[in-house]
Amino acid sequence: MDHAHDESHPHVNYFFIFLLLCGCTALSVIFDVVKITPALVVFAVLAVAVAKASLVMTFFMHLKYEGRWKYVILLPTAILGVGLMVALSPDMAMHYYEYDVMQSRIVAPRSEHGAGHDAEESAEHDGEAKDAKHH
Amino acid sequence: MSDSHHAPAMHMGLPISRAKLGMWLFLGTEIMFFTAFIGTYIVLYFGSVDATGKSAWPTDTHVTHLNIAAGGINTFVLLASSYFVVVAHESMSKRDFAKARKFLIFTFILACVFLGIKSFEYYGKFTHDILPGHIPETDTQAIGKMERQVESRFHKRLDSVVPDIAITDVDGDNKPDRAMPTDQSMIYYQKAAALPQLIESAEGSRKADYEALLALNGQVGVLREQISGNKLTFVEAEESLHEMVEDEHYGSILSGLHMSTPILYGNLFASVYFLMTGFHAIHVIVGMILFGTVLAQGDKLSERWSNWVENSGLYWHFVDLVWIFLFPLLYIIPGNI
Repeated sequence: MDHAHDESHPHVNYFFIFLLLCGCTALSVIFDVVKITPALVVFAVLAVAVAKASLVMTFFMHLKYEGRWKYVILLPTAILGVGLMVALSPDMAMHYYEYDVMQSRIVAPRSEHGAGHDAEESAEHDGEAKDAKHH
Repeated sequence: MSDSHHAPAMHMGLPISRAKLGMWLFLGTEIMFFTAFIGTYIVLYFGSVDATGKSAWPTDTHVTHLNIAAGGINTFVLLASSYFVVVAHESMSKRDFAKARKFLIFTFILACVFLGIKSFEYYGKFTHDILPGHIPETDTQAIGKMERQVESRFHKRLDSVVPDIAITDVDGDNKPDRAMPTDQSMIYYQKAAALPQLIESAEGSRKADYEALLALNGQVGVLREQISGNKLTFVEAEESLHEMVEDEHYGSILSGLHMSTPILYGNLFASVYFLMTGFHAIHVIVGMILFGTVLAQGDKLSERWSNWVENSGLYWHFVDLVWIFLFPLLYIIPGNI
């Protein structure tokens, strides 16, 4: 039982883990500020989030020191969680049917630097909006 | 434990305490609870297309009023609170209860800080009316919202300034001769119609109030006509509202009104934002109750509470985990995809 007792009180340098987590948070903010390609930002930021989650689960939640029961609880729920998203995708994200709602008849103003409406886009927007109203 | 051959029956199941197993099973359901929200958000993000066929999810922080700095600071705050929980549990195991209490107090304070920053963000959403169902998504809807806001201010003022007797008294003896109309819009109509007569009999500031209302009534009529005839563009409506707010007679009745920027899919965004961050904030509050219960023990904190601290800690780390994913997904990634 001594062994089991040791396992339930592992010696982890929690402060070091905390510093790692802070570093990761700083990294994701840096990725947002530094000019790299958007796709890379998404990948990097998600990778950092997964790294942080792993650190918290492994050390703060002591999963490193738990028995194999952890997989019995965590794997099915994680799979169901992802499965829900996959199941929703055809209907809600991919629209395998013709998607016709008020918003899909309008061109949204897309501007890089914030609120400024592009004149041409705005005119088009107005026209579409009025069309939409007549439906 | 003398019947040692019966002992195996006592060790059925997992080599962890029932409380901890219960907490982990609960966290399993929590994983599904939050992945349902997060997954729905991701799917809706890509599914909310405009006429170009591309996602038109609102990402411009100028219109969504998402504050990346606030989200980043909150991430740090929750990570720090998680650290304090884990060292509190460690101190409990070492029977250093005074130290454990100190760390739990830090955790509790950090939870308050998190909610404080969250409230600040929510406050920004409320003041800019970034709320589900309140957001105009097209120019037409923005103009319609402006009309409703102007009318609502006008009606409120009409109700507070013009007494009911003004429309129930027919023969001028200051006694009600007929019942109030049951239809609210009829009441406003009759009160507005009574204004010219009231101006004649009133004096001083009262008279000025009535005159302002009469002027506004005329302007609201013009506005209604222009909007129903579809004659106003967004910019014209904005100018028109600006002139009305600046008007020297009735401007004070409309003070603070401004046109809402149309945000395509803004209502869906607001629903998803408040659903995810709202449920997360509720979890933070529940965590504070769990830690508050331990802190309420004061000096009586003992080994008996060790399991409680461990399990609340597991729960708290989970709350932290959710935020670790919410922060990039809500604050950083939109606009980069």
